[in-house]
Amino acid sequence: MKNLFLTAWICATLSFGFGGSSGAAEFDGIELKMLAIGDTSVTRLAPIVDEFEELTGAKVQIDMFPYPGLIDKIVIEASANSPSYQLMWVDSPWVGVLGESGALEDLTDLVKRDAEEINLNDILPIQLQENTWQGRLLAFPASGMIWHQNYRKDLFENADEQAAFEQKYGYPLAPAKTWEEFIDIAEFFTRTAGETLGGEILEKDFYGNAQAYSRVAGAITHDFFPIFRSFGGDYWDADTGLCGINSDAGLAAADVMKRLVPFNPPDYLGLMWDIRTGYMERGEVAQSGYWSVRTVRLTNPNEAVLPTIGEAGYAPSPTGDGGPIETMTGALSFGINSKATDAEKEAAWAFIKWGTSRDIMRRFAEEGNGVSMFHRSILSDPKLQERYPYYKVLLETQDEPGDAKRRIFHPFYADVEEIFGVELNKYMAGETETAAEALTNACTKIDTRLRVFPEELRLRWINDVPASIFE
Amino acid sequence: MAYSKKRNRNIFLIFLLPAILVLFLTTIYPMLYAGYLSFRSYDLAKPFVPRIFVGWSNYKEVLTSSEFFHTLWITLKLMVMTLSVQLVLGVGMGLLVTQRLPGMGIARTALLIPMMISPVIVGLVWLFLYFPELGYLNYFLSFLGINPIAWITSTEWALWAIAIADIWQWTPFIMMGTAAALTNLSPEPYEAAQIDGNSTWDIFTRVTLPQIKPVLISLMFLRAIDAFRIYDIIFVLTKGGPGDATEVLSMFIYRQSFTFWRMGTGAAASFVSLVVIILLIMLFFKSLNHSRRIS
Repeated sequence: MKNLFLTAWICATLSFGFGGSSGAAEFDGIELKMLAIGDTSVTRLAPIVDEFEELTGAKVQIDMFPYPGLIDKIVIEASANSPSYQLMWVDSPWVGVLGESGALEDLTDLVKRDAEEINLNDILPIQLQENTWQGRLLAFPASGMIWHQNYRKDLFENADEQAAFEQKYGYPLAPAKTWEEFIDIAEFFTRTAGETLGGEILEKDFYGNAQAYSRVAGAITHDFFPIFRSFGGDYWDADTGLCGINSDAGLAAADVMKRLVPFNPPDYLGLMWDIRTGYMERGEVAQSGYWSVRTVRLTNPNEAVLPTIGEAGYAPSPTGDGGPIETMTGALSFGINSKATDAEKEAAWAFIKWGTSRDIMRRFAEEGNGVSMFHRSILSDPKLQERYPYYKVLLETQDEPGDAKRRIFHPFYADVEEIFGVELNKYMAGETETAAEALTNACTKIDTRLRVFPEELRLRWINDVPASIFE
Repeated sequence: MAYSKKRNRNIFLIFLLPAILVLFLTTIYPMLYAGYLSFRSYDLAKPFVPRIFVGWSNYKEVLTSSEFFHTLWITLKLMVMTLSVQLVLGVGMGLLVTQRLPGMGIARTALLIPMMISPVIVGLVWLFLYFPELGYLNYFLSFLGINPIAWITSTEWALWAIAIADIWQWTPFIMMGTAAALTNLSPEPYEAAQIDGNSTWDIFTRVTLPQIKPVLISLMFLRAIDAFRIYDIIFVLTKGGPGDATEVLSMFIYRQSFTFWRMGTGAAASFVSLVVIILLIMLFFKSLNHSRRIS
């Protein structure tokens, strides 16, 4: 009996003593690799991942790739039997294809379990909904985006420019509420070298607008779809589940983009997301509509020239008639490879919780590295709102139910993005004569692929089932 | 004796085995598997799509697709653009570097450098040169009073931009082949032509060109096959755009396989492309034999 107690005491000492003194952590020995993008949703986090290893013992390696081609790598990774990557960066429109193929782990139960720890009630619900497929939460937001307009506030507030604009167009210069106003503003600010802008002689051409017109990775569709949605368009026919983009809203959106061409830089057909935002970041255009994940660079002088030569302003996206319409949201998120081991999944979830936590997000904001936030408490913080004026726009456009609507989330999203990318780009380049021809061509190609599936399945794919975490 | 012969044959086979194995794993098996895929419906991203035998329907889809014929047309156009310029410049350069002039050894080596660079790097170099706002090409053209050209983003220029990059990289290949052919020519016909009082141009067209024609045809044939494989430079410079102005056959195959993940259709397109290349090879061989018969 005495020996038994002694043995038990030695065992207890060894397990508690050694464990405590050597700093053994929950996920010691686990190595996680993340397949990710090199954008603000990841670049802020990458330099501090060692802190996660200190906390939990799990080592995380983040491999960053450009957006074009990233989905290809993720699909190949998802189709492999023994995964190299346990964590995956997910753009919310990919949720459909990754969800239907079972590539991502369902996070619903984990989120419900750790609801308090992750401050679930503080997260904008639409940002969670963005990551659901058929009601299951498959990824967790690391950046919560909206598509909105950025503009040169310093130029919009210049008295001479205001007077000239009002004289020419008959209404005051202000961030556009309609696309007609947006086109007027783009036209007004398009100037050539030697002309005056904001009281200064221009050394080089200045453009009224920069939008993504490139076909690469369907970049043009990323700007076309928000405009299309702002005209009340819907991607799918609610009765058949087939393509619904060749509609009046589609034609109106294509018309807006075509009319904006003369006010864009001459290389407009090659404008990718980053090239387009680069024009705004260098202060070379008057206005540009894009995702808030890049807007965050506009207040950081290390990432943009604009804060040193002027000031950026932020406003919701214009709409067809100027009336309110659901904001187009998006989410850049982290998901877990469903083929990872159970231990890796737990460690990966711990990493997601840590990397997207309110504390980390607030820390990024306070350090000056903006992230397109998704916690209400951060977006509504008056001090942070003063520092990052776009926080107000982010909050006001998606806080209340019905304010915002998620992006496209269909399993055939890659086909839609690519096919519309090419057809719209051809129309903008003048290879296709009319918008109707371009949109019909694209829809016909997509429908050919969809018609082989039963209508019931097609209708299920377009149905946005509310996330069961809200139940 | 018989034992020794058998032993030698075994050793011979053992030495060949690694090469056969590599060839099988990297070429024969993938080709057979691609052939198998071309008769199946296989979507890598969508495992819920039934992976079934579909007969010739992938081939039918490719051969009735206007996109396929458009990309074939662009490929042929690019082939003619690059080959014609490369041939003229390459032969000219070949004639130049075989002259006994000072510094020709260094020039010959320097001119071969583009050929040794990876096509992706070539694409990136030319991307910097073509860049609309910051590119060197437009910068230098501005000194001549020429407005900036949207090299890679306009439908008028994009294919030329790719052709220029390809010409820059592969003209030395023609030069090298021409120079090798020229150095092996016997001097007698030249001496006879000079005695007859022929001009330099006449000597070139009537003596030099007919003699190096088989070599030139072989070089053109190799470059023509390369034209069907061109991918890297286009991927870096235009990715097939603007619109579909630079979308070549290899881009079509890539898009089917790795953008839409329709591996069956991509495999079928690859085999159709192989048939086109085989037809092209037959054409070249025919013309090579014809030229040999004449000479």
